[in-house]
Amino acid sequence: MIKLSAISKNYQTDKVQTRALDNINLQVQAGEFVSIMGPSGCGKSTLLNIIGLLDRPASGQIEINGQLLGKYSDSQVAKLRNQTFGFIFQSFHLINELRVIDNVELPLLYRKMPAAERRAKAKAALEKVGLTARMEHFPNQLSGGQQQRVAIARAMVGEPQILLADEPTGNLDSQMGAEVMSQLLALNQAGTTIVMVTHNEQEAKHSNRIVRVFDGQLVQ
Amino acid sequence: MLKNYLLIAWRIALQRKLFTVINLLCISLTLLVLLVLTALLENTFAPTGVEGKSPRMLQIVTMVSLNEEKGNFRHGPLGYKVITDYIKPLPSAELVAAVSMPESASVYQQGRITDLLLRRADAAYWQILDFEVLDGRVPTAEDVAAGRFVLVLNQSTATQLFGKQSAVGQQLNVGGQQFTVIGVVADVLQLNSFADMWAPVSTYPSSDYQHQLWGNFSALILARSAADFPALRQELATAVAGFKFDDPLKWQEAKIWADSKLEFFARMLLQNQTEPESGAASLLLLISLLMLLFMLLPALNLVNLNTGRMMERSTEIGVRKAFGASRQQLIGQFLVENLLLCCVGGLLGLAMAAGTLELIEQSGVIPYLQVEINLTVFALGMVISMVFGLLSGIIPAWRIAKLDPVHALKGARR
Repeated sequence: MIKLSAISKNYQTDKVQTRALDNINLQVQAGEFVSIMGPSGCGKSTLLNIIGLLDRPASGQIEINGQLLGKYSDSQVAKLRNQTFGFIFQSFHLINELRVIDNVELPLLYRKMPAAERRAKAKAALEKVGLTARMEHFPNQLSGGQQQRVAIARAMVGEPQILLADEPTGNLDSQMGAEVMSQLLALNQAGTTIVMVTHNEQEAKHSNRIVRVFDGQLVQ
Repeated sequence: MLKNYLLIAWRIALQRKLFTVINLLCISLTLLVLLVLTALLENTFAPTGVEGKSPRMLQIVTMVSLNEEKGNFRHGPLGYKVITDYIKPLPSAELVAAVSMPESASVYQQGRITDLLLRRADAAYWQILDFEVLDGRVPTAEDVAAGRFVLVLNQSTATQLFGKQSAVGQQLNVGGQQFTVIGVVADVLQLNSFADMWAPVSTYPSSDYQHQLWGNFSALILARSAADFPALRQELATAVAGFKFDDPLKWQEAKIWADSKLEFFARMLLQNQTEPESGAASLLLLISLLMLLFMLLPALNLVNLNTGRMMERSTEIGVRKAFGASRQQLIGQFLVENLLLCCVGGLLGLAMAAGTLELIEQSGVIPYLQVEINLTVFALGMVISMVFGLLSGIIPAWRIAKLDPVHALKGARR
């Protein structure tokens, strides 16, 4: 489903060039739950961003569902992100000016879908995370755990094949973190492929496979 | 999608009040100036009211007399004889009117002396111009032919002189001549109609005016249609080629141009007195460029403001990109937001312009000015607002939309 071949990524800061990823080769199969672990600054999030087409590698190849992404245009990449991926971020990244229901609807805005259908799907997604009562609220009226559940609903509303989660419990207490993890596991059991960046060994143990990154390289 | 864009635009406008106020003021004040100017220009050039026939009307206000060998040059209003001998006979003209420039005249009435502006005109003048007669009538061909001392006043003058009494039938001493007021017309400001009083041309104290090549007259030519203008101008050129001066040793050549109102103003402003080309196209281009420049300065200011405002929302951009927004869709979103703001600014500017025009009218700074925001000006205002929105929104929207999602999510500004 996901195949990375010889992926490298450099960051240029002032006059210093930092190698964030170095010759990464990784495959993720459909339905897998893969955790990416490693110390801070080792390149975990960069790797996740490259998988999710949020960032471009300096070199190497990315294959999604057997399609090699070479010279895809901006609109082609946007369409692929919309239809293939769902994202969950550590700091939720909800749009505070929009109500919960509008936030959840967001990925569907970029599909040709009638407004009523969009609204019904967003409601269904909120129902799955137990937040239908909060759909008219604004994000800053919710707790951190509730916000992350809204983010999960938003990530899932478009029924993506792959869910990418960057430290989804990093800003939550243990109880809320456990709730979020149980929802991710339920999604995985329903067939969604999940790639999750985490520092938490206990959470990583729930996944099928743990990939460790150190100094931009995969280590066994 | 549009509803979502409008919703977020509205909430952001409410959340960032200072920015919204600055933005709206910038747009509405610029529009205020542009709309007041366009309303005044429209009042001057558009075929409305008394000069409603101006699309098929040409005017000759001045003539140039030349003797290049001797270096003689004279430029000024026409004499009545030029109109009767060279302009009235033009075959393509439906009507030709002769009217004097507004001249100051002392009106003696009940022990008071009032200085007012008087025009003397022939009967065709009243047929070409569509004065709104409020009371009585306007002079007829018989009045002019018989040299009757009849007078028409505008509404303000009638009120000034006679208060609430009807002015029609009243006697009035103008410059020592006794007139009977036969009509009252609405106040007008237009180029060929502006005056306080009108009398028949035949009421001049002397008939000398009939024999003068230089005088104080202008001619109004009504064509059957604007399509006849080239033929009229050709006939005029032929007539003027045979111009006979009283003193052929002093003067050799006359130059007379029949112009539309815009061409007349262009000729006066650009001093194109000796060439057939009035320079109207150059004047229009100049006005358009000045307007564009006037809009460009606040637009550039708004570009900066908008860029800052949009960059503050880089995380939102990142989220939208992550969930499938393309660059074009984001540009579309920010343009919609900007256009919405500009439309509100436009409506505000229109309201302010209407108020300002009302104030100008009532202040009497420009006598007899009657301008209002009409549909043309309103439409122009909204077009200007849209252009403003596009000008000030497209660059920031393009810059923000090309951010990499990963950088946008981190709140990066480049």
